[in-house]
Amino acid sequence: MKHPILMPVLSDTMATGRLTQWVKSIGAKVSKGDAVAEVETDKAVLEVEAFSDGYLAGPLAPVDQDIPVKQVIGYLADTAEEAASAGQTAPADPAPASEAPPVSPPPKPSLPAEPFPTPPVAAEPSPAAPAEPVPVPQAFPGGPSEGHAASPYARALAFDLGIDMAQVVPGPDGKVQAPEIVAALIAPAQPPLNYGPPYRLEAPTKSREAVARTMMAASATPSFRVTARLPIRELQHQAASRQVSLTVALSKACAFTIQAYPRFNAVWTNGGLALRDRIDVGIAVEAQDSLITPVLRDAGGKSLADLQSAWKDLLSQTKSARLGPKDYSGATFYLSNLGVYPVVRQFDAVVPLGASAILAVAAMDSDGSAECTLTCDHRVVFGADAAHFLTHLASQLATPDSLW
Amino acid sequence: MDEDLFYWQAVNIALDRAMEEDPDVFVMGEDVGLYGGTYRATENLMAKYGELRVRDTPISENSFTGLGVGAAMTGLRPVIEIMTVNFALLALDSIVNLAAKIPFMSGGQFPVPLTIRMPGGVAKQLGAQHSQRLEHTLMNVPGLRIAVPFTPQDAYGQLRQAIRSDDPIIVLEHDLLYFSKGAVDLDAKAPPMHRAIVRRPGTDITCAAYSLMVAEALAAAETLKESGISMEVIDLRSLSPIDWNCLQQSVEKTHHMIIAEEDSGFAGAGAELAATVQERCFYSLDAPVSRVAGMNIPIPFNAALESAAIPHAADIVLAARKMLLERSQTS
Amino acid sequence: MDHERLQGFLYDMLLARAFEERAAQEYTQGHIAGFLHLYPGEEAVAVGSIRAAEPSDYIVSTYREHVHALIRDIEPKKIMAELYGKSTGVSRGMGGSMHLFDKERRFMGGYAIVGETFPIAAGIGYSILYRHLPEVVLCYFGDGAVNQGTFHESLNMAALWKLPVLFICENNHYQIGTEIHRHSAVVDVYKRAASYAIPAEQVDGMDVEQVYAHTHSALDRIRAGGGPYLLEFQTYRYRGHSMADPGAYRPPAEVRAFGGQDPILLATRELARHNPPSKSAQASDPAMDVIQQHIDKGFAAGHWQEEDVATMKAQIQQILDEAVAFAQSSPSLTMDDAVFLANQNHAHEVLF
Repeated sequence: MKHPILMPVLSDTMATGRLTQWVKSIGAKVSKGDAVAEVETDKAVLEVEAFSDGYLAGPLAPVDQDIPVKQVIGYLADTAEEAASAGQTAPADPAPASEAPPVSPPPKPSLPAEPFPTPPVAAEPSPAAPAEPVPVPQAFPGGPSEGHAASPYARALAFDLGIDMAQVVPGPDGKVQAPEIVAALIAPAQPPLNYGPPYRLEAPTKSREAVARTMMAASATPSFRVTARLPIRELQHQAASRQVSLTVALSKACAFTIQAYPRFNAVWTNGGLALRDRIDVGIAVEAQDSLITPVLRDAGGKSLADLQSAWKDLLSQTKSARLGPKDYSGATFYLSNLGVYPVVRQFDAVVPLGASAILAVAAMDSDGSAECTLTCDHRVVFGADAAHFLTHLASQLATPDSLW
Repeated sequence: MDEDLFYWQAVNIALDRAMEEDPDVFVMGEDVGLYGGTYRATENLMAKYGELRVRDTPISENSFTGLGVGAAMTGLRPVIEIMTVNFALLALDSIVNLAAKIPFMSGGQFPVPLTIRMPGGVAKQLGAQHSQRLEHTLMNVPGLRIAVPFTPQDAYGQLRQAIRSDDPIIVLEHDLLYFSKGAVDLDAKAPPMHRAIVRRPGTDITCAAYSLMVAEALAAAETLKESGISMEVIDLRSLSPIDWNCLQQSVEKTHHMIIAEEDSGFAGAGAELAATVQERCFYSLDAPVSRVAGMNIPIPFNAALESAAIPHAADIVLAARKMLLERSQTS
Repeated sequence: MDHERLQGFLYDMLLARAFEERAAQEYTQGHIAGFLHLYPGEEAVAVGSIRAAEPSDYIVSTYREHVHALIRDIEPKKIMAELYGKSTGVSRGMGGSMHLFDKERRFMGGYAIVGETFPIAAGIGYSILYRHLPEVVLCYFGDGAVNQGTFHESLNMAALWKLPVLFICENNHYQIGTEIHRHSAVVDVYKRAASYAIPAEQVDGMDVEQVYAHTHSALDRIRAGGGPYLLEFQTYRYRGHSMADPGAYRPPAEVRAFGGQDPILLATRELARHNPPSKSAQASDPAMDVIQQHIDKGFAAGHWQEEDVATMKAQIQQILDEAVAFAQSSPSLTMDDAVFLANQNHAHEVLF
């Protein structure tokens, strides 16, 4: 007997998943709990677990295609014979040829030199595996979304609003109705490509799509920036000597400052200011051709040693694309550190939804100071708050002993 | 003067008042006199107006309906009761070939100010022959006007208007409405007979219904409110002509439309509604117009099957949810 | 019967025959179209019965009703214009050959579905009863109509409520192409009235004087409150059912016999002209053309001379030429006319 394997629901927002590979081949023996495939969601690459013992049987869903959740992607047969005889339909992408059980997932390598490297001081093993191309992105020769069924009202609305139907992303039923047009309307304008050079379209990774979406959502936040020169040499020195990442140390310093100015731990909601009683600092890092923000929970309460250990775990999960929503969601304050690039003198960052502010740290100059820009949600804090914050943080960094 | 009246009482009072005001009005049909009408609609009228004006007829539907046409041609205002629409099938020649055609074919010389009342629809286990509706057939006859009163107020008001009109008018009453109760203001100025009425305003979806189905639509709207769906319920009141402006305004606001009809959906009244709304509001529609209608089978006698063969509020709720909330690949 | 009335009958019948022949001519020339049912052979029925009625009486007729309308004194040109479908027609061009209506002359329409005249007549009868007026409805129908349910339903109601309706059967023995013995178990139509206790008679419909006399007395009786009455006139149509019907189902000898075309019978008739029959020979001769028979009787009785008949025919020819010219020169209808008519009874209302 064959039991279906379904595309798992791996997050509350997940509507589809992209099968990146089958880690078992047809006929392979599978034990309950084994990973049989990998799925890329909007946030991460996750495993599809077998829920019973058996033998993987076809037909298997093809890789590199978006598949709605709860759809059958393959089968588990009770016997090897069944598995072998079933599913003569070849999967669109052949499963790994290996007969050997558990094939370790092939590395999904990170690309080097992206805007948010982890600070070198932390001495994490560099993921500098040879740059392999990411799975070949699908090209859409006809252009995206061309030919999706659309309601008359949606078409009329698109016409009135000057929206190109080809750019509209269809709804869950594959059809374009008014809500999809409204979504397209508030989506950023599409760049005009028609008269430019020839191009090919690369399907974005789930993660890149998610970044684009959250950045668009964040763009509605009324924000302001305040820049200050902050002394970081002493902190860097102490952190290096204690084998702690500068970024982790900076997080702790920020957390202490937030304790002094708790408004920075608040967030604006439609119901009012949400005042949180724990400080969770999200840190921007590059990952898989994209950006992710692992979160240091309770950065104010935990010791630096604990924080460093948590950070190490987070980074390794990031490298193996195993980060889950509980690891990258819910930060109350953000930190972005480009200090590893000496040429960067100053930059500012975008306040993600859910936070009051983000601190952008540039490279340290010869004086031992770095230009730091605090971008704030003006609904939550004001200019003077930012000035107080930076003043307090400056003294914290100048005399970092209290952090340890 | 607001009174809580049964639907049949509203019809009865409308007839009484019309006869009182105009000596040319007379009532004719099977058992309308001594018996007082099978649904009591003509109760006590014979005692008050005599046999000439309240005439019990033989069982000869085609001829007493045709007799009404002849009488109307000479200026009387007959109100013919056909005991059920099922019997009206025998009178179709008089309705279709005479009443609907004479005013036109005579070059306008002979108006036919005739009113034909007929109860119909699915009641309680009356069997396939007594559970029909005829609107689809009659709507396809130019020259007829069709009123479908839902409330006792409309049963009164629209019947008064029908009797006063110089057109042949069919008043379709529903078996199950006669003992529904509602406030009736006998002196209220009624809206035009063919005007639709928004019984419940809404913003997300339009449900057009008529006769008994308006009750189901209103119940559905109440249920949908819990899901955050605001359904506008339109009581058509007239199936010929149809108040397209009312429907159009609503659909241009909600962009979604459901038609609730007890009749079997195939080539029913809803087909006309869907087609014309589509013609008039195509660019406002965000989803295909949905018909919630009876099944395409004769109405079964068995109570459970009978009920399952016609739509109820839950079916309207389902259709609305499917249209608005549960868009999925299977749809 | 007085001279003037007989002359009137002659004129009526000549007009009726000439009108129908002209209509056939216009039809074959393609000037008019649709169904065209002609009356030749049956003229004595329409002339005798309608001339016996009062102007206040109502006429309800069938689709073979041009002659009923003519005898009701509707202008020939308005009937011809109706056949042409012009706005000057008696039904404003909206009825056509089978649907002549004239409210002023209480001509309540020609009806094209067999058996429809019964309930309409009953309704008008009900209206007369309702208003207690000394009026009668003349309800025409053919022998083919008596097997429709409406015949029985309406006769029952008319008898039940004593409605002032004179049922007039133009029994030409054919329902389109089916001879009466093949469509009716009882071929004497008048006998059927007995089922509803309606008094009835069978009368020679080829003799205009008899038609007149029997109609007159029936109307008197009804007017006096006697309730409905039925007259069955035995007659014959010389042509097919309609212009499209060659009438091939009828034996030629039968047609000749009824139409006076049989050469032997024609010779006999010539003889009769010069040797007038005795007064006792009252029954009409079915083998003689219904009009010719009337002419001959007039000759014999000294009511008219050959020249009188010729003058009448010339006069009628003139009228028909004018009628056709009128019809042809009348303005065509527009769709606006039709839409206006379809809505005129609720013109005060805005129906979208």
